[in-house]
Amino acid sequence: MAKENLSVWTSISFWRRSAAWVTGFATILLIWLTFDTMGQISMGTDADLQKGITKRVPAPTVINYHIDYKMSEKRGHEVPVIGKKEPFFGKEWSPKEAAALLHLGKLGSQAKNCMNCHTLLGNGAYYAPDLTKAWLDPMWGATMQGMTGKSTKEEAMAEFLMHPEKYPTHARMMPNLKITAEEAKGLVAFLKHMSSIDTNGFPRGFSKTVDQFKAGGTNAH
Amino acid sequence: MLINIKSNSLTNAGQRIGLMYFRVAIILFAAQLLMGLIAATQFVYPSFLYGIFDFSVARMVHINALVVWMLYAMIGSVYYMLTDETGENVAMAGLGKLAFWVLTLAIAVVVLVYIFVQIGPAKESTIWLINEGREYIEAPRWADIGIVVVVLIFYANVFFTYLKGRKTGIMTVMVANLLALAGLYLAGMFFTDNISMDQYWWWWVIHLWVEATWEVFVGTLAAYALVKFIGAKREVVEMWLWIEVLMLFGSGILGLGHHYFWIGTPEYWWEIGALFSALEPVPLVAMFVHVLYDWAKEQGESGEKSVITNGPGMAWIVTNAFGNFLGAGIWGFFHTLPQVNIYTHGTQFTSAHGHLAFFGAYATILIGMMYMGVQGAYGVKRMKATFNSKMAIVLITFGVLGMTVALTIAGYEQVLVERAELGGGWQAFFAAQNLPWYIQAQLWRLIMGLVTFVGFIYLLLDLLTIGKKAKAAEA
Amino acid sequence: MLFDKFTDVVPSFFGMLNQGPLTLTIFLHTVIVLPMFWIYFSEKKKLGK
Repeated sequence: MAKENLSVWTSISFWRRSAAWVTGFATILLIWLTFDTMGQISMGTDADLQKGITKRVPAPTVINYHIDYKMSEKRGHEVPVIGKKEPFFGKEWSPKEAAALLHLGKLGSQAKNCMNCHTLLGNGAYYAPDLTKAWLDPMWGATMQGMTGKSTKEEAMAEFLMHPEKYPTHARMMPNLKITAEEAKGLVAFLKHMSSIDTNGFPRGFSKTVDQFKAGGTNAH
Repeated sequence: MLINIKSNSLTNAGQRIGLMYFRVAIILFAAQLLMGLIAATQFVYPSFLYGIFDFSVARMVHINALVVWMLYAMIGSVYYMLTDETGENVAMAGLGKLAFWVLTLAIAVVVLVYIFVQIGPAKESTIWLINEGREYIEAPRWADIGIVVVVLIFYANVFFTYLKGRKTGIMTVMVANLLALAGLYLAGMFFTDNISMDQYWWWWVIHLWVEATWEVFVGTLAAYALVKFIGAKREVVEMWLWIEVLMLFGSGILGLGHHYFWIGTPEYWWEIGALFSALEPVPLVAMFVHVLYDWAKEQGESGEKSVITNGPGMAWIVTNAFGNFLGAGIWGFFHTLPQVNIYTHGTQFTSAHGHLAFFGAYATILIGMMYMGVQGAYGVKRMKATFNSKMAIVLITFGVLGMTVALTIAGYEQVLVERAELGGGWQAFFAAQNLPWYIQAQLWRLIMGLVTFVGFIYLLLDLLTIGKKAKAAEA
Repeated sequence: MLFDKFTDVVPSFFGMLNQGPLTLTIFLHTVIVLPMFWIYFSEKKKLGK
């Protein structure tokens, strides 16, 4: 260089050292945070569920319990509430069976490419509804149980997943993805499990005004 | 057809390999746009190709072609600049060429399977052979492993050439950054039943690529292109490059937290994600200032009107400076705070941001690098923009901006009606999708997509002919 | 309220630092930026020589 560089602010070595420090330290912090988060989002156990210990991601046997999504005063947003036991496809699933069913469902969610139309935990494509709390969607109750003629929500969901083209609710229909009866059960278990994950209140006010919406969507008297 | 681009004037093997990658990149770019048009049409006419070539397939190929053409153009750019920067011939050019053919063949097979097989039964074999069903990194596991091997060969080529030759600041950043970029891919190669865990690591790949290592890569390319196109001073360019690395990694690495607001991860990510990612636009402003500053400086110092050696290339670099700031910076910041994101997460808002950011931050500069490749291939000293170059840049930029605005409007509708008013869910989703203004927005997105495609045809024509014309004019 | 009580599911080091608006992020930004002062002065010394 022709003239001496006298300012630190225009010296390459200052910026190079700073870049190395910031990059290295941010990486270390991220790794540390990752270890902390891993501990918090690893799946709970069946024993946790029996003792009522809250886990961000509960054990697969959560499919044996009633799940709700309620406002928490303490947290300031909605959280999943795991309630009393309820049969799932007419029975109680052992930890081993529940884990196998969830495994099948998670595999199915990837094999059928759900994520390129739907969002899961808000991530994916925006062509079809978000599935984060799909298990809790009021549509399964009255409408879909009625359309499919099934007596329980999980059976209605499984039937819909196997033959979505038979039960359209919109011009934009879900295609038939050749989902077998067993795979459909797995997918419903996967969806029920996902609805029990503590998502820090996402989505907010889930389906809160659906009744108003059905009545014409107005509060006017 | 693309073979028409001669490479006789190229002085080294690296540049020839670079051109091979560029040719495939432009074909995949075309595939990306066609798939985008199909998906956009399905939003407006849902029965279009229903049950034959569903939205999920079109969309999967759309985003995969995007990622792969960009990776191709990135690898091509590195090969292209390698000898020039290090002063050494590519260490293992033969192996590099072989890796190119292996990768291209593997990608052709993956795409054909996506298109014709589409989905499989809920078994491990589907994930290994058909598709992994994880947005952006759907490539089946066999291809994952293949990609890792090929990328290792590419990296070894770059690394050993670097070791032998000059260690410029640009190459030092490039070599270190590429290692991180390649290594991160490994975080996306496992299966878990735990969807929270799945998405945690999935974001390591996606975010730490597009919001950290890819951005640094762009900074490196811009630095090199400025030296080449307008003769910017290396000391100035490299100082800026280190500042950009500092700010991009300083904000981008922990900015990863903005994907951990709602996937089951702890609440402390709200603060980490919000504040670090809110700083992500800062380096993009710096890059913008840097490009314009260098341009103006070179123009002033020489006393006469500056000589831009590659007109269309420089135009795309300047578009990159704008587009990166606007698409990644502004459109990203719009919805990065958790207070906003709880309503915007998973809506067309994200889609609007995605379109402008991928275009502004990456497509632009990689097209600029392709022009550099064409210039080198014909040995043109000074390449001026043609009518086709101008039509291409105007139509593509206008088209993508139009799509972005349309999707932003659709996003607003969705946020306000589906999320804020109705709280999400099945009926809420379709209530928003049926809003007249939402439907109009989707129609405009399709129209603007067509505009982009017409611009792409001009771009393709231009890349095929500009070198020959410029060479003829010089002779 | 400037300082809220800890509300997350599981207490952890980072959760504890997260005691209300911006506490955690200001802390992290500070520990990242502070050593840059040291780098600055050490570079200044080098230039002076």
